[in-house]
Amino acid sequence: MTPVLEIKGLEAGYGPLRVLHGIDLTVAEGERVGILGLNGHGKTTMLRAIVDLVDWRQGEILYDGESIMKAPTFALARRGVVLMPQGDALFPGLSVKDNLDSGAYPGGTWRKRKERRDYVCEIFPRLGERLNQVVGTLSGGERRMCSIGRGLMSEARLYLVDEPSLGLGPGIAKGICDTLMALDLQGGALLIAEQNRLLIDGRVDRALRMHGGELTPDTGEDGVH
Amino acid sequence: MTGVLVTTINLTAIYALVALGISLTWAGLGFLNLSAGVMYAGAAYGAWLVSTEITTNVVVVLLGGILTGVLFGALICLTVFLPLDSKPNWEIRTLTATLALSFIGVNLYQWKFGPQFKQFEPLFSWLPQFRLGEALVKSTVTGTVIATAVIVTIVLIYLGSSRIGLGVRALTQSVEGAALVGINRRTSAFAILGVSGAFIGLAAVLLGQTFFVEPNSGYVPLIKGLIVALLGGLGSLRGAVIAAFMVALCEALTLQYFGGAWVLVTLFLLISIVLIIRPRGVAGVLETTRA
Repeated sequence: MTPVLEIKGLEAGYGPLRVLHGIDLTVAEGERVGILGLNGHGKTTMLRAIVDLVDWRQGEILYDGESIMKAPTFALARRGVVLMPQGDALFPGLSVKDNLDSGAYPGGTWRKRKERRDYVCEIFPRLGERLNQVVGTLSGGERRMCSIGRGLMSEARLYLVDEPSLGLGPGIAKGICDTLMALDLQGGALLIAEQNRLLIDGRVDRALRMHGGELTPDTGEDGVH
Repeated sequence: MTGVLVTTINLTAIYALVALGISLTWAGLGFLNLSAGVMYAGAAYGAWLVSTEITTNVVVVLLGGILTGVLFGALICLTVFLPLDSKPNWEIRTLTATLALSFIGVNLYQWKFGPQFKQFEPLFSWLPQFRLGEALVKSTVTGTVIATAVIVTIVLIYLGSSRIGLGVRALTQSVEGAALVGINRRTSAFAILGVSGAFIGLAAVLLGQTFFVEPNSGYVPLIKGLIVALLGGLGSLRGAVIAAFMVALCEALTLQYFGGAWVLVTLFLLISIVLIIRPRGVAGVLETTRA
């Protein structure tokens, strides 16, 4: 069966800085893969490299068997590759409803945006209570919910989640991770980068360790807690 | 005092239109469109051609100006935005390119239409004149305010409720966020520059009721539009409307109590005071975002 995502010898970085050193990774249909690692070791760069949000990249990335090295970010989103980024990249001056609806922007999903929004509000009832509130006035936890909710609005096949717990209290972080792990992937896949091992340990199909821009099998002995 | 009020409302409508056009382009695409003046003059010539060659029907002439503005928006997208997007020194290059377009445009108008002043047939003479207190509200003023209110409302409803409108609004907030949800900045640029062109085109027809159209007639609206857009906080649409009102009120009061010669002096003072207190313009006051 063709894997959802296949990365071969990926190198990427910013300007003269090489962050990733020959990453190889295969993610199969229905698989949840965790990337564990300390800050500054390349987890975010790897996820951003997949959706072409780094200065430069080389190697090969295949999505459903097709190379996506030349596809721009917006085109990947339309094909079902959704990044829920660190820092959220929400639209602060727009309402929660508009932010969620923007997740359904790709043509076919737009018509289903109301039912998708209801689905997201079922998962995050707090967003349902704040649909008309401007996102810039939400708390950090609510913004993270909105960012993940926006990702869930699309009918994605590959979810890329970047440190969902960053900057959040333990209770909210656990709640958000619980939601992501309970997600019905419907034949898609999920790649989650996290530095808090406790949040994803035993709940992903496979965990890998990102250290110094290299990806190795997780041994649980890297100082990541 | 009602005279001041009538002048203020009339000028607010026109300044807001030009500033909205400039501000929307800045917010959505990140460049300052110095060819807005050429768009303005082009739209004025477009509407003038419609009114002299086809019909003087008010709706058709207004549409003529608006559509010419939209076409100019598409032209700027093709000749400035698309070739320069994501290139190094983007800000300087777009400034230079739009300034160059501005000079080319003025010379083309000189060549095509000559330096003679063109005058529109009055579009709103069928509207009644009436008195508001001691001030006479001319039909042109009534027409300007109604046309602006109708068109701006239609555009804002469209931007607020349609998929493309959401794409435009998203782009004004976060380019990366927009890309992550599948919004193509390069195709959305046509919508943004088209709407900007529509606003500026409408302003051209409305101001053409009072001033003659000639090749250089876009420069003053460009400068006023830039002043209003800066005062409002570049990129803020609400700020642009509020700043248009402030500038219009300042001009109307100066005209009434000091005379036309003092307009630029008081305007300069107003800009200085606002930008000293609020360096980011009126928009700074409107921000509700948490840190």
